[in-house]
Amino acid sequence: MTNFYTLTRTELVEATKEFKFIWLSLFFVILGITQPLITKYMDVILENVGGADGITIDPNRPVPSSAEVLLSTISGQFNQIGLIILIISFMGLIAADRNSGMQDFILTRPVSLRSYLLSKLMGHWVISMFSISIGAVVSYGYTIFLFGSFSFSNFLLFLLLYSFWILFVVSLAILISTFVKSPILIAVTTIAASIFFILIKGFNHFLFQLSPGGILNLAENQLLSVHDSNYFSIATCLAFILLNLSWANRNLKKS
Amino acid sequence: MITVEKLHKTIKKRKILSDVTFSVAKGECVGLLGPNGAGKTTLIKCMTGILQHEQGNITFNSTPIVQHKKNIGYLSQHTDFKPWMTCEESLFFFGKLSGLDKTFLKGNISAVLEEVGLKDKGNYKVEQLSGGMKQRLGIAQAILHQPLLLILDEPVSALDPIGRNEVKKLIARLKKRTTIIISTHILDDASEFCERYIIIKNGMIVGNITEEFQKSDRKQILVKMGNVPQTSEALKSSEVEHVECLSPNTFLLTGAEELDLQKVVNDFAAKEMDITSIEFYERGIEEIFLEMVSDT
Repeated sequence: MTNFYTLTRTELVEATKEFKFIWLSLFFVILGITQPLITKYMDVILENVGGADGITIDPNRPVPSSAEVLLSTISGQFNQIGLIILIISFMGLIAADRNSGMQDFILTRPVSLRSYLLSKLMGHWVISMFSISIGAVVSYGYTIFLFGSFSFSNFLLFLLLYSFWILFVVSLAILISTFVKSPILIAVTTIAASIFFILIKGFNHFLFQLSPGGILNLAENQLLSVHDSNYFSIATCLAFILLNLSWANRNLKKS
Repeated sequence: MITVEKLHKTIKKRKILSDVTFSVAKGECVGLLGPNGAGKTTLIKCMTGILQHEQGNITFNSTPIVQHKKNIGYLSQHTDFKPWMTCEESLFFFGKLSGLDKTFLKGNISAVLEEVGLKDKGNYKVEQLSGGMKQRLGIAQAILHQPLLLILDEPVSALDPIGRNEVKKLIARLKKRTTIIISTHILDDASEFCERYIIIKNGMIVGNITEEFQKSDRKQILVKMGNVPQTSEALKSSEVEHVECLSPNTFLLTGAEELDLQKVVNDFAAKEMDITSIEFYERGIEEIFLEMVSDT
């Protein structure tokens, strides 16, 4: 436990020294502000940038609800562009340690592989969720200001469930890092695998529910205030996280 | 102290280590020699518990090695630390991972930094250190918890002559109080510290060389002559089968069997040859190593 704490603390201090908390948060704040602003002022923007020729915007178009705007911010911006940037930010989470010899120094101490992998998971999950939460809260503020009120508890529940998905993505990056040494290849593979789990939804809804991406459905339903009692997807997501970590543990022991 | 028995290790279906058996006694300084890709680093990673092996045993004082991580200090082939940490912070981090007490660490870190010659660099960030300094910091983290066994993987191979000299001096000092295993392919460095050499080739132990072994091969005699003989054939006798001219007045005599030094001296005296010096030829570790790892 002490080793887990020491290692996690080092991950967080490193992120602070590299200003990761600041630039990632700023990035998510920009993403969080952009969606509600564009949705609200699309016609004004098009008019001002001179790109409205030939485009007719229906003045009677329905105004989206704050829930719909929040959903498009998270699903459209955070879970696509945001996810790619997050994965790029932690593509070296194990590769850097391995290439510098740091991993060998750590593992020759009385440190279990479990503590080492859990510290990576925890450290990068905290960094990611901190940035996402800041961006999401700012987005929430803008959305309720521009589109009307929305239940804060539902929003928090959404963030909580979304954090399981992020935990899964970090565990996936850890697993892939034990197969591949190149950070770029780790990032590309993790992005591709994460997008695959999101895209399953379009192909087979049943498989999607059984995949770690199923938790995204449950999270989104909290935003849309749709009754969804498929809490099984939390267990599925956790099972995949455990599977990723166990597999990574096995790989590191063997090679 | 440490015993490796019938060790086998396969990585990605490729046999890296095969039936590796050897032991190192307390106080010894042993060189683990082998060409690149021989399996030295994999063997060391198994010995330090980083990698799991499929078959065989590695024991430290008769108990499995994994229970003795606190007693092992390790310097990896690639030594780099978190660049944003200072030397003191790096050592504190590794000390905490070794389970050392905060109070003990505070006192010991400055002592260890002094030992490795980085006393005044405690507040320097790792990114400000030269290659030699980083390697000394690597040794500092390896000895911080006062291990009984020190395993150094290629400690000087990546350093410039100044850095090598600094690290070699440090190893020579550590050798007096710790059991050391040094993996290297630079034989001159190994011969400065080691009393024994384990030679590994294609994942197998092909030689276990002691200083006695180097001296024990008495089939060759090195002779220096005062007067240069007209032909080297003149140096042949019933015992000496082959004569090799190393310089105009230095010859290497080789016999089919072990040579009798006194008999050779008497032979030369009978032929009224002027001998300046005569001694058994002691083969260097490089010569023995090349012989053992050569494919021919």
